[in-house]
This record gives sequence, structure tokens and C-alpha cells, in this order.
Amino acid sequence: MIKIRDLEKIYRTEEVETVALNKISIDVKEGEFVAIMGPSGCGKSTLLNILGLLDDPDNGSFLFNNIEVAHFNERKRADLRKHNIGFVFQSFNLIDELTVFENVELPLIYTGVKAGDRKKRVEEVLDKMQIMHRRNHYPQQLSGGQQQRVAVARAVVNNPKLILADEPTGNLDSSNGNEVMTLLTDLNEQGTTIIMVTHSEHDARYSHRIIRMLDGQTVLENIMV
Amino acid sequence: MLKHYIKIALRNLAQQKVLTVINISGLSIGIACFSLFLLYAVNEFSYDRFHTNANRIYRIVEWWEGEGREAGGSGSVCTPVAPAMKKDFPDVEYAVRMRGTGCLARVNNNVFHTSITFADKDIFHVFSFPLLYGNSQTVLQDPRHIVLTKEKALQLFGTTNVVGKALEIKTDTAFEPFTISGVAENIPANSSVQFNILCNFEHFAQTTMVQESSNNWHMTIGMEAFVQLKPGSRLAGERKRLALFRLKYLPDERPKAKKEKEAVQASFRLQPLRDIHMNPQVEGGNNPRNIWILITIAAAVLIIACINFTTLAIGRSAGRAKEIGLRKVMGSQRKQLMGQFLAESLLLSVFSAVAGLVLAYTLLPLFNQLADRELHFSLTRFPELCWLLTGLTVLAGLLAGSYPALVLSAFKPVEVLKSKIRVGGSNLFTRSLVTLQFVLSIGLIISTIIILQQLSFMRSKNIGFNKENVVMINTGSIDSKKIYPLYKQAIESNTGIVSVTAAEMGLGSNEGQMGRGYRNYKGEVTGVIEYPGDYNFLNAMGMQIIAGRNFNAALASDSTNAIIVNEALVRDVLGTTITDALGKQLVEGKGNGRKPQTIIGVAHDFNFEDLTRAVRPQLFYRPANLNASRFFVRLTAGDPATKLALLNNTWKQLVPDAPFEYSFVDEKFDAFYRSEERWSAIAGWAGGISIFLACLGLFGLAALTAINRTKEIGIRKVMGATVSQVVGLLSKDFIKLIAVALVIASPLAWYCMHNWLQAYAWRINITWWVFALTGFFAILVAVTTISFQAVRAALANPVVALKNE
Ligand SMILES: Nc1ncnc2c1ncn2[C@@H]1O[C@H](COP(=O)(O)OP(=O)(O)OP(=O)(O)O)[C@@H](O)[C@H]1O
Ligand SMILES: [Mg+2]
Repeated sequence: MIKIRDLEKIYRTEEVETVALNKISIDVKEGEFVAIMGPSGCGKSTLLNILGLLDDPDNGSFLFNNIEVAHFNERKRADLRKHNIGFVFQSFNLIDELTVFENVELPLIYTGVKAGDRKKRVEEVLDKMQIMHRRNHYPQQLSGGQQQRVAVARAVVNNPKLILADEPTGNLDSSNGNEVMTLLTDLNEQGTTIIMVTHSEHDARYSHRIIRMLDGQTVLENIMV
Repeated sequence: MLKHYIKIALRNLAQQKVLTVINISGLSIGIACFSLFLLYAVNEFSYDRFHTNANRIYRIVEWWEGEGREAGGSGSVCTPVAPAMKKDFPDVEYAVRMRGTGCLARVNNNVFHTSITFADKDIFHVFSFPLLYGNSQTVLQDPRHIVLTKEKALQLFGTTNVVGKALEIKTDTAFEPFTISGVAENIPANSSVQFNILCNFEHFAQTTMVQESSNNWHMTIGMEAFVQLKPGSRLAGERKRLALFRLKYLPDERPKAKKEKEAVQASFRLQPLRDIHMNPQVEGGNNPRNIWILITIAAAVLIIACINFTTLAIGRSAGRAKEIGLRKVMGSQRKQLMGQFLAESLLLSVFSAVAGLVLAYTLLPLFNQLADRELHFSLTRFPELCWLLTGLTVLAGLLAGSYPALVLSAFKPVEVLKSKIRVGGSNLFTRSLVTLQFVLSIGLIISTIIILQQLSFMRSKNIGFNKENVVMINTGSIDSKKIYPLYKQAIESNTGIVSVTAAEMGLGSNEGQMGRGYRNYKGEVTGVIEYPGDYNFLNAMGMQIIAGRNFNAALASDSTNAIIVNEALVRDVLGTTITDALGKQLVEGKGNGRKPQTIIGVAHDFNFEDLTRAVRPQLFYRPANLNASRFFVRLTAGDPATKLALLNNTWKQLVPDAPFEYSFVDEKFDAFYRSEERWSAIAGWAGGISIFLACLGLFGLAALTAINRTKEIGIRKVMGATVSQVVGLLSKDFIKLIAVALVIASPLAWYCMHNWLQAYAWRINITWWVFALTGFFAILVAVTTISFQAVRAALANPVVALKNE
């Protein structure tokens, strides 16, 4: 599903030049659950943003479903992204002004789903995530674990083929964290490809494979049994 | 402490440069605009107050009132009234008549065309016009005495001390010598009484025109008369005494007026000098309503600026909610935070006030042009202005500072840190303020368009004759009886010339009207405008005769006993039909001026006055001894340059010592609408400035909204929102505000402009598309403004936005 080759990302500020990704090459197959680990600043989030088509690489090739997307413009990337990829962030990133329901509904609006269908699908997903009873609450009124479940609901409401999660348990205690990891595992078992960045070996064990990074390169891959 | 506040304030302002600049420039433009308008208003109300005896000086006015007619008066009164008042009323200390005219002045064989004013010798007793040279008690004692203003003396002689020098003046047929007996300081611009050369009225009284009028209480020759009452006199309020006085000299006015309900009652009134400039009921007076409108506009612009100032201050503070929360956690007291906010906004408002005054000072010449005034920025002359502006500055600063000071400093730190509270951009208070701004701007723009429409309507309306391509030559004081036939003959056959005619009066703005009272069909005396012109005048002007015939040079009686009247005269004075009017006789009210005249033709009404008035009764006649003051030459269409050269050269050959002065009749008619032109310019500028200010505010608010919603925009983009969707999201709220503003402003503007239009006898209808157009324009401008911010926010990389959270 994902095939990147010699991907480079270099941040240039006034004086410093940071090589965030240094000719990195990775393959992810459909249905895989991959964890990415590595010390702070090694380029994990950068990689995830590029995989998520939020950012573009400076060099190298990126095949998404066998389509070269490395040089897609903003519009094309957005189009591909909203139909195929869901995101879960460490800090949840829910919109404070919208209710739980409206937050989850958002990706459907942008993919142009009709209002009636939207309601059905949002309710389905909220049910599955067990936060239906909170549908009319605002994010500030929820606990961290609940917020992250809303975020996961939002990530999957469009039935994406790929979910990218950047430290999804980073802001949660262990029981809430485990809950989220179970949700992700369930999704993976239903066929969704998941790529997750994490600092926790415990969480990484939920995955099939761990990619370890250092200074913008992969240094090791552990296949989980 | 204060020093600390100011230091921190300066640092904060420097950090938010764009907002600070928007803030300062907005308020300073508002203050500049307001001070200029205010200066204008203060100046308008200051007219004629500088005379020592100002509250004892009155102008004699002829006053008319009656049922179905708006009461009003004219400062142009008959020649004998002023001396008669002085004679009959012991209260009258001095009576002074004044009449201005054009003349030729000769100094050392140089001839100038200039205006000259004849006044009774007591003028310097009445008015406080200081003399540079000469004794005010004696300067005009002799009919050959003459007084110049300093400016005129410099122009004619190149020096100011010209007492004793000779000056030759030609008002009638020949140059006559005068001796300069005094030099007056230049007349202040805010004086209704103006002159630059002053001559003794006794001299003027000897001219034929004045001689004819000197005992005629029915004839006016455009002369004004002033009286100064003795201290304690109440004559001005004593209508009865004035009525008896009038009856003594106009005895036949009484009986009908009492019987007939509709009768128009004429009377003499004494109008306070200080009332002249600002009383629209008397001809030539300005409407104080206009000044109030102007002050309202100025206040509106200032309010818009202050609103901006406040919303932006709130907005600037919004981004600092977290900082304040932290400060409070660190132990800062509410009082200190309030002090900080107030210091900041006061500092800004003081900056703005200074910048605003500098701006006003720079713009003053431009504004003077716009307002047709000579205003000076003198804070010593108008100390009110000084205090008002200081007060305003402090007020604006306190108002703008107090909202953030009160609201933000009252936050509970925990809530702020959890960023549960959002300030600025989207609360009801700032929304209403923005709406109000747009209500004002939209209202002003709608008004401007309607004024412009009325203006263009008045300029393009068919006024009943062909005013295009007509050159009107001012003959000054040449012997036109002799010159006119020669001039006409010399140019008439030229191919560029269509026709040549002449009249004893001009046409268009500032040319005045002459008239007499005639008996109407009810037996009352009513005013009729008289126009003495040549045989071919109506033809040459393209005026239509709709019944009867034109004047005929071959018939001797046509220059002694024949008039052509307009439709209004037939209707209002004769009360008959157009055909029945032919052959009827028109009898002068008093009957001692002119023998009854026979109507030989009826002309189609034409608007010889401005279009605020309906057409009044008018008659044309051919004086037996036509002494033309204007020649009219109709040119063929096209570039007038060579034809004008011909006119000029012919003039120079025939009258080498008189200047060739001409104007185009269509321009003279356009000149009626200077005030409308001015108003459209003022409303247009105010509207433009206010919409600019409103957009500045909108720009700032949009910026704040974009900042406040950075995270949300980032998330939405990650979810797949396109740039246009994000722009739409950010603009939608603001556009709603503008739509609301349009809905509020439209009926208000409609109401105001509907009332304004009532002053015009000939007016346009207000059409719906003016509102639609304005609304469209306002939304367009607003969207453009918001887009600057929205597009930037929408294009930003969502990764960055989310990272900052
Ligand atoms: N917008 C940016 N401008 C400049 N440098 C950047 C930018 N974003 C990231 N970097 C740099 O690129 C490198 C990789 O950053 P990245 O965020 O991918 O690290 P990370 O592995 O996700 O770290 P963490 O575990 O702390 O989240 C870092 O050195 C970082 O400083
Ligand atoms: Mg990271």
C-alpha cells in the first residue's frame, strides 16, 4: 500500500538546516499494523505527516496504492487524503466550538456525504466507540480518554484504508491508553492499515512490526510474533 | 509604576505592529476628519459675531407669508426704505444701504475689471471693520471718497498706504475720478458683509437706475439695507410698528390681504445680523440643518474610528488571555492589570490624536476647496476645539481600554489557562460594533449616490431652452447701446456663429432676478420676474413660443407696449388659459412705474432659476432703449476655441479699454448646484473614509479570528477542507453582519434622502438598485478585506497550526 524510497525532508530556517528525513525507505502492506519508534526529534512526526499527505517531501519517491504522490499539489493531496486516510493525534485536536457529533461529522461534510447518510454513519461510529451518550457534549466537557475516542471515531467515520496515529496514548493514563489501543487493534482486524508513532514499548507490542528510527533513517525493524 | 506600564505598553505595541498601525491610523483618520468638519461647523456659527455692535445691527428684509406658502424673505429691499426708517423711527441710530456691482477701475492707465460696493457713509459706524489708514468717522463723507481693502490696495497699487491717491472708476458711461480716503483691513472670511472697494452711495444714487428706484417702494435693484438700533430698542420685535410703517408708504396693500384667505402678506422685518448666514428662510442664508448633518457625519466617522479602536483593543488583548492568566497566577493584582490595559490604550489614543491633528493640518487646503471656505487651524481662535479634542482622545482611550481592562482582568486564571474563554472576534459586543460601522458607511454611500443622481438629473434636465454652446459676454460698463449693434453686425455672418442677442440681465447662477409687483386676477399684487432682452432673445435661446407671436423689430409698439409671458404667469397671475391670455393687459401693482402692458405671446415655461424652485411667473419685454449688460452668442457645436478668438478679437477692436469677460451659459446653470456638488463630495468622502475605517476594523478582526481559529482551521484542513471552504468559513460570519447592516441602513438612508429630496421642486425617484448596488459594493469590499486574512489562514500548513497547540 505504501512504498517510499529515499525520501528526504529538510527544514531550512534562517541559519540551521535540519535533515528531518534522510533518504528513508519504508514499505507498508495493506492490513498491516506498524509502530514507529525512536528518540525525540528523529523525524517520526515528519514521516507521518508526509505519509498522511499533510506535507510534501523534498526528494524521493512515495507510492500510495501504486500512485506516485510525492509531487502532488495541495488540492490533489487533500482529495486523496480525505477519502483514504484518518488521523489520530496525541492532543486529540478536536474543535472546541463543535459538539462531539459535529466533530465526528466533519470529515463526511468535506467528502460531500449527504446529511441523512452522515447522521447514520456518525451514530454508528459513536455507538461503536461507546460515546453515543455524549454526542451533544463539547470536547471540554469530556475526559481525555473520551476525547481520544471521539478522535478515533472521527478518524474512522469515513472508512479510511489507512489510519495514522501520532502518539495516540501520549496524553492518556494507562487504562485509557489500553482502551484506545484495543480500538485500534479492532480496526486493524477489520482490515484497516494502521501506522502509529509511539514512545511506549507496551503500546508498540500491539503492532505487527516496529520500525525504529534514528536521525531520519530506519535503523532496525522488529517483526512481532 | 506609570513608567513601568508605559514601558510594557510600548513593548506590546511594538510586538503587534500591524494591529498597532491599523489602530493608530484608524483613529487618527477619524480624528482628522472630525476636527476638520468641526472646524467648519464652528466657523459657520461664528459668522458676523466680531462686530462690536453685532447684537444691535439688523438687516431689513422683505418678508412674505400667507396660507399655502412657506414664509420667507429677501434681503434685497427697495431703495427708499432705509432712509425712511431712519427718519421715522427714533430707535434707528444709523441706516446703511449697500449695493455691489461690477466696474472698471483705472490706475495709471491700467484698466482693471473689479467689483465695487456702494454704501451709505455711516457704514464704519455700524460695522467694526478696522481701518489701516484713514479716520472711520470721516472716510466716506464726500461722494468722491473711496475706501480700499488692504488686499485691493496691494493689487492696484502694490502698496498699502494709498490714502490721497486717485483712482478712476467707470460704472456708468465714463471714468470718473475718486480720491482714496482710507484703507481697511481685509474683511474676515466669516463676514456676511463683504467689499473690496467701497464707494459713497450718494454717488451711486445719481445713476439713472438708482434715480428711478429712489422713490419707488415697489422696485428692487438688488440692494441690501442695514440698521443699527439704539441700545435698548425693541423695534426688531415690534411687528405692529413695522406694519404701520409699511402701510404709511404702501397704503394700498392692506384691504385685500385681510379679506382673502390665500393672500400673501408682505411685511418688513429686521433680521439680526448674526442670523444672516444661518437663516435659510431669507434668500442666501444657509440651512443650519446642513451643518448639523455635517456634524452628524463627522461624529459618525469618529464613532466608527472609536469602534475600531475598541474592537481592535479587545482583539489585541484576546491573544493575551493566557498571559493574563499566568500573570494572575504569579500574583498580579486586578488593579495592576487594568492599569496596564488602560495605559496601553491611552498611549495609542494620544499617538492617534497627534497624528490626526497633523493629518488634519495637512488636509486643510484640500478641505477648504471641498467646503469652499478659508478655514485656518487656530486653536487659539477656537479654544472649544482644543478642549473637545483632548476630551475625545482621553475618552477614546479609556473606552477602548476599559473593556479589556474590566473583562480580561476579571478572568479566573484557571479558565484562561485551559483556554476556555475566547475573547474578541466573535462576541456579541464586537459584532454589534462592526454592524454599526457598516450601517453608517452603507448609509453614507447610499446618500452619496442619491445626491449624485439628483445632481446629474438637475444638470441634464431639459430646462426649457437650449443652454449649450451659448457664450454670455459680460459687457461691464461699456456703452452697449452703441457697441451692441456694431458687435452683432461684426460677428453675425461668421459661420461659427448661430445667433447673437443681448439682454439687460444674465442667466444662471449669481445673475440675480429683477421683478415688479403686478395685479393678479384677484386684485392682489404679486411678484413677477421681468426679463428685458432684445427682440430675438427667445428665439436665440431656443425658448418656445406656444401662443401668439414673438417680438417684431418692425413694430414700434413692441418696444413700448408688448410683453411675452410664461405659462406660470398665465396660470398664477392671469388665472386663464394660454389662448385667452393673448391681448390681455398686465397692470403694475403701484401703477406709477410702467404703463399697462399688452400680452402678445406666451412662452413655454423654462427653469431660469435652480431646480429647487418651481417655475415662477415671468415676463419678457424689449426695452425701448435696450442697454444690454450681457451679450449672448450661440456658437455652432464643436470646439469653441476659434469662435471664442473671433469674439475676443472683435471685442478688442470695438472696445479696446474694456476686458473681454465671458462665460458659458450651461456652466452658469451648472453653478446653481455647487452646494449639491459640495454635499455629494462631502458625503462621498465621509462615506469612503468610513467604509475604509470599517474595513480596517474588519481587517483587524478577521486577523484576530484567523489567529483565534488557527487550530480549528488546521483540523478542518486535515479533515479535507479546501482553501475556498476555509475562506468561506471565515467570511461567512462577517458577511452576515454586513447583510444585517444593509437591512438596517437602507430604510434609514431612504428616509433621510427622501426628506432631503423634498427641498427640490424637480427631483428624482429613489430606486431600489441604489441599495442593491451599495450592498453589493459593501460586501465586495468586506470580502476582499477578509480574504487577505482568510486566504492566508487557509493556505497555511495545517501541520504547523496543530503543532503550536
Ligand atoms: N517546521 C519545522 N521547522 C524546522 N525544523 C523542524 C520543523 N519540524 C520539525 N523540525 C525538526 O525536524 C526534526 C524532526 O522532527 P519531528 O517532529 O519529526 O520529530 P519527532 O521524531 O516527531 O519528535 P518527538 O518524538 O519529540 O515528537 C527535529 O529536529 C525538528 O526540530
Ligand atoms: Mg513527534
